[in-house]
Amino acid sequence: MKKTLALLIASTALTTAIGVPAWSAMRAPDGTIAQTVAAVLDDAHEALPLIFVSDDDDDEREHRSGARHDDDDDDDHDDCDDDDCKGNARNPAPAGTVAPPQNGLFGNGALPQVQMK
Amino acid sequence: MKSLLATLALTTALTLPGLAMARPVSMTTTLNNYGGDGAYLALYVTDASGAYVGSLWMAGGKSKYYEHLTDWYRATGGDTAQVNGITGASVGAGRTFEITLDLADALFDAGYTLHIDAAVEDMRDSPNEVAIPLTTSGAGTPVNGRRYVAQFAYDM
Repeated sequence: MKKTLALLIASTALTTAIGVPAWSAMRAPDGTIAQTVAAVLDDAHEALPLIFVSDDDDDEREHRSGARHDDDDDDDHDDCDDDDCKGNARNPAPAGTVAPPQNGLFGNGALPQVQMK
Repeated sequence: MKSLLATLALTTALTLPGLAMARPVSMTTTLNNYGGDGAYLALYVTDASGAYVGSLWMAGGKSKYYEHLTDWYRATGGDTAQVNGITGASVGAGRTFEITLDLADALFDAGYTLHIDAAVEDMRDSPNEVAIPLTTSGAGTPVNGRRYVAQFAYDM
């Protein structure tokens, strides 16, 4: 009798340990239909990306042809005026805003002074 | 009392060499009336072997034009950190600009040469517009440029 009881307990424990996770995995999660619809709609959005149409061909040709300076009389890349367009390099800090570079040429005294005549 | 004197002597000894190692140097550049836009100018120094040492001034704030200062650009790769804090406006045709810099004494009579590269929009680039040895005896002696610079001189 004790042996039977032990076998029953062991088989129940095994069934519980193996069966419950397997049963849980097979269950469909809630909201499956909603998720499927959303996925289809998202795919549709990705299939139709917005395309930016530019009429800036002249500028592109100018860059490709190696034009060296801005003409400043057309609709060129004016947003490049403050920032360098090449490699995102920044313009240098103006005199007086930071100390001169530590290149061994400057003393530790006065900041540079400039005068235009 | 003795310790006070010793402290004063020590601070004086430490301060005086620092003051003596640099001096204000004014550099005056006059441009020709070349009939164009403002000129970008790079003032920089090379050593006796011709190797780039450092920049003294950049006239012109937009780094996208620095490639036209061809010798300076070749030496620095266009590194704007070289001219941080020593950059001002470009210089108009016929104008004179004067900069006063606190320069190390070691720059003079030691084989260093001051160079000026110049560039003007839609006009020819002019590298090495001026090349002048930095000597105490050369101070106050004006030199002529090749294309855009009419005259350059430094004074100490």
